[in-house]
Amino acid sequence: MVLVLALGDLHIPHRAPDLPAKFKSMLVPGKIQHIICTGNLCIKEVHDYLKSLCPDMHVTRGEYDEDARYPETKTLTIGQFKLGLCHGHQVIPWGDLDSLAMLQRQLDVDILVTGHTHQFKAYKHEGGVVINPGSATGAYSSITYDVNPSFVLMDIDALRVVVYVYELIDGEVKVDKIDFKKTATAHSAH
Amino acid sequence: MSPAPIEVTLPESPSVSSPLCSSSTQRCGGESRFSNLRSVQWRINLGILPSSSSIEELRRVTADTRRRYAGLRRRLLVDPHFLKEGNNSPDLIMDNPLSQNPDSMWGRFFRNAELEKMVDQDLSRLYPEHGSYFQMPACQGMLRRILLLWCLRHPEYGYRQGMHELLAPLLFVLHVDVQCLSQVRKIYEDHFTDKFDGLSLTEGDVMCDYKFMSTPDSSNWGMGMDENNLQGSTNKVSSLDELNPEVQTIILLSDAYGAEGELGILLSERFMEHDAYCMFDALMSGARGTVAMADYFSSSPTLGSQTGLPPVIEASSALYHLLSIVDSSLHSHLVELGVEPQYFALRWLRVLFGREFLLEDLLIIWDEIFAADNSKLIASANDDDGSGFGVLGSPRGAFISAMAVSMLLHLRSSLLATETATACLQRLLNFPENANVKKLIEKAKSLQSLALDTSISSLSPFLYGAFDRKSTLTRVHSLSSGSISPRTPLKVVPESYWEEKWRVLHKAEELHQGSSGKQVPSGKKGSSGKVRLSLARAESDPSPAKTTSVKKDSRSFVRRRLLEDLSRELGFQEDVEKPGCSDQKDPICSQKDPLSSVNVGEQGFLNDSAEKNCIDKNFTSTAVETSLSGHTGSEENSSIFSASSSPLSGANDHENDSEKSSVSSNLYVDDNDGESNNLEQCGTALDDTPLPVSYPTDATLQQPESDKDSTGKQETILKERKLHSGKFQWFWRFGRGGGEGASEKGGNSEVSRSTNVGGTSEATTDKCDSSGLGGTGDSVDKNVLGTLRNLGHTMLENIQVLESVFQHDRGQVGSLENLSRNILVGKGQVTAMAALKELRKISNLLSEM
Repeated sequence: MVLVLALGDLHIPHRAPDLPAKFKSMLVPGKIQHIICTGNLCIKEVHDYLKSLCPDMHVTRGEYDEDARYPETKTLTIGQFKLGLCHGHQVIPWGDLDSLAMLQRQLDVDILVTGHTHQFKAYKHEGGVVINPGSATGAYSSITYDVNPSFVLMDIDALRVVVYVYELIDGEVKVDKIDFKKTATAHSAH
Repeated sequence: MSPAPIEVTLPESPSVSSPLCSSSTQRCGGESRFSNLRSVQWRINLGILPSSSSIEELRRVTADTRRRYAGLRRRLLVDPHFLKEGNNSPDLIMDNPLSQNPDSMWGRFFRNAELEKMVDQDLSRLYPEHGSYFQMPACQGMLRRILLLWCLRHPEYGYRQGMHELLAPLLFVLHVDVQCLSQVRKIYEDHFTDKFDGLSLTEGDVMCDYKFMSTPDSSNWGMGMDENNLQGSTNKVSSLDELNPEVQTIILLSDAYGAEGELGILLSERFMEHDAYCMFDALMSGARGTVAMADYFSSSPTLGSQTGLPPVIEASSALYHLLSIVDSSLHSHLVELGVEPQYFALRWLRVLFGREFLLEDLLIIWDEIFAADNSKLIASANDDDGSGFGVLGSPRGAFISAMAVSMLLHLRSSLLATETATACLQRLLNFPENANVKKLIEKAKSLQSLALDTSISSLSPFLYGAFDRKSTLTRVHSLSSGSISPRTPLKVVPESYWEEKWRVLHKAEELHQGSSGKQVPSGKKGSSGKVRLSLARAESDPSPAKTTSVKKDSRSFVRRRLLEDLSRELGFQEDVEKPGCSDQKDPICSQKDPLSSVNVGEQGFLNDSAEKNCIDKNFTSTAVETSLSGHTGSEENSSIFSASSSPLSGANDHENDSEKSSVSSNLYVDDNDGESNNLEQCGTALDDTPLPVSYPTDATLQQPESDKDSTGKQETILKERKLHSGKFQWFWRFGRGGGEGASEKGGNSEVSRSTNVGGTSEATTDKCDSSGLGGTGDSVDKNVLGTLRNLGHTMLENIQVLESVFQHDRGQVGSLENLSRNILVGKGQVTAMAALKELRKISNLLSEM
């Protein structure tokens, strides 16, 4: 059983001062095995903070990231799942499922995590999942001003992944979860 | 599962009996029902299975315990994934991985994971040398789950390091038995398959998973034969009970179609985990007995304890208490060094000696521990006086303490040789691996009865105060003011003399000298303490209290046992010592044999004086060493010198040395006799009334209950002594033996009189001892050859004296008119005469030189 924290678009300090206090208190070291971050952190301090939660951290580059060394896309394998990571500003139209599915096929991943739209989205698509964790700080985007802070925690266990969605609505943390099962043959057929 | 690397208990050759023989030979409890199935026996002993009931009952209980464990596992081992399945609408706010609520599923899950990590850290280091079994993933998984469940079930204890080492042998025992079973089944597979096929025709069942077990020990088990089951076997062995009469039982034990079905199979690989948990739980909780291992891991006192100390500290105190009774000199030595019992006992007790012995030996020890009943013998005795040690209240607790004491005694000589607490602990914590476990257990068993007795007859403050360091010191102090003081000035002279010598010869080793100088007083104190203890015991003899006499008997028995052990260890190559050895067994006899009785006296005081002599000798010997070097080995006394010249060399050597030097000191005593003023010394010792009187008065101080008794006794003794003053010529000499005899047998006024004299003569012999040392030492310095010649002469004279004593002895015996004694005396005389012959030979040799 592996817990993977997926978050992005923090835009600290340009659009938000910090992570919401409620999120910060929930995110404690020792529980999470991996962090995947879609980008736009934007400064090194945030990177360091996330590293303190879990040393195994994967980041792709957003358009506002100071650190130019982040890759555009990244893939990693956790358990039996292959995960793809991309900020998403490169995929146009932004947040379009078909375009994202194209990227998913390109990267040949089961789970694609993208950001940029600051809207939580999760699609089951073609035997895979496309997830947008939203903005962890609730920072405004170029599309919308009304953003609820949210992030995603994936519980990956064998052929099964449970996606917990944490959303801060009116100062209260709401949790939702999405079950996703991968068929054993699905991946090998590719 | 591949067989474990430890093959000792595993079958090796495919013969009918061998597979289980190999594991059964190690066990002594032949009368027990499942003596060759250790795991079943342990389960009975630990109170999981009923000890006397039908097979069906056994199976039913087994199945019940397994069901309980399965239920527990289902309940406590949280898997958030599976729980969600059955419960589709969980409160996600509460039950999510990041939940802060400790009661949430995930909270529990993370707590368990933490615990698991801790357990794993220990498990990965568990018996790494036996890697292939304990390090196997399957085994590790079982161990982890069991520990985890136990800790979850008992959150008040939690997981503590060491628990895994208690569990591992339990699981291993199950594993070995299951392995045995499967091997036996493999060997006779075709045979039994045929049989079962035949059976299956009648029963209409397919018996594929039939477990079969054969045991070689066809003792008393096999009456409940169900002949029907055996009809089907038409193979090489016509009927199964020809092969083995126990087969039927075992079939029923492992019959997949018996009561409770497969769940009831007593030995099953599938349920090893369940069984191991039950055993572990029973061991930890102690099944309402006194020894609950879990208590040893907790730092808070148990409810019933009066001391307010954590149980393990209390248990280690009990250990020292027992040691103080058995071997007060070792006890006082350890106390003086400041070695608290928990320093080593914590490690010994928490894992039940698991770290001190190899696994094979450990299993044998645990056999004994579990075989001992864990129930409290008498609850009231301990609760009332508020001072007894609860641990000693049950046979099992007493055995564990006794085992630890027997281990201490095993290390005795090397412990006494240590000068610092660090060195002492070093030896205690590196228990020799080659120790003879059987001997240790034997010794422990004899000590166990003593421990039980002490806890039953909750003794006077003297005994239970013994643990307290302060009181020990005061005891020593009062002794030195009382009985020792007359002796000390005499002792000081030769000591300081040899210290002087030492300094001249070994200026460089001043540190060493200082430390051995330190040892002398401790040894002396110990010995006098012992003298006093035995005297007090002898005095309280006639008191009507039955418990005391019972206790005393068993104690002296234990003591005798210990002495026998010691003498066996030493081997007794010298003939002079043989009579001493034989006399130990019948103390009355020892009275008649002067030389050997002195010898017995020496040993009788638990070799304290021997120890002291040895230390004295160490001074002498090192001083003499250079001048004597040419003659060592050829002659007995000088060989003693050379032997004792390396006092710290090795444990066994040291012990031997002390033994030898005690012999030599005896010779010196006799030398002095022969040479001159034995009568004078005797007279002074006897007329020195304050000295003998001081013993009983001290005793009365310590044992207020027997106050009147002993003082009254003392008066009669004094009178008697005047009456028999003519006999003292003999008595002062073997008085020590008499003293020993009295403390062992006791109850008889004649003997107790001699005890008193024995005390006196103890003092006198010490005087002779020291002066003898000084004398010979001097002459050695002057001229070695002259000394040797002198020695020869004195020995001859000595022998003459001994012979004359013998003749007088006969008269003495006649006057006593004790028939049984006469017989014993005859035996003693024969051995003594042999010793005399030997002495004569030696003296001839000496005088020739």
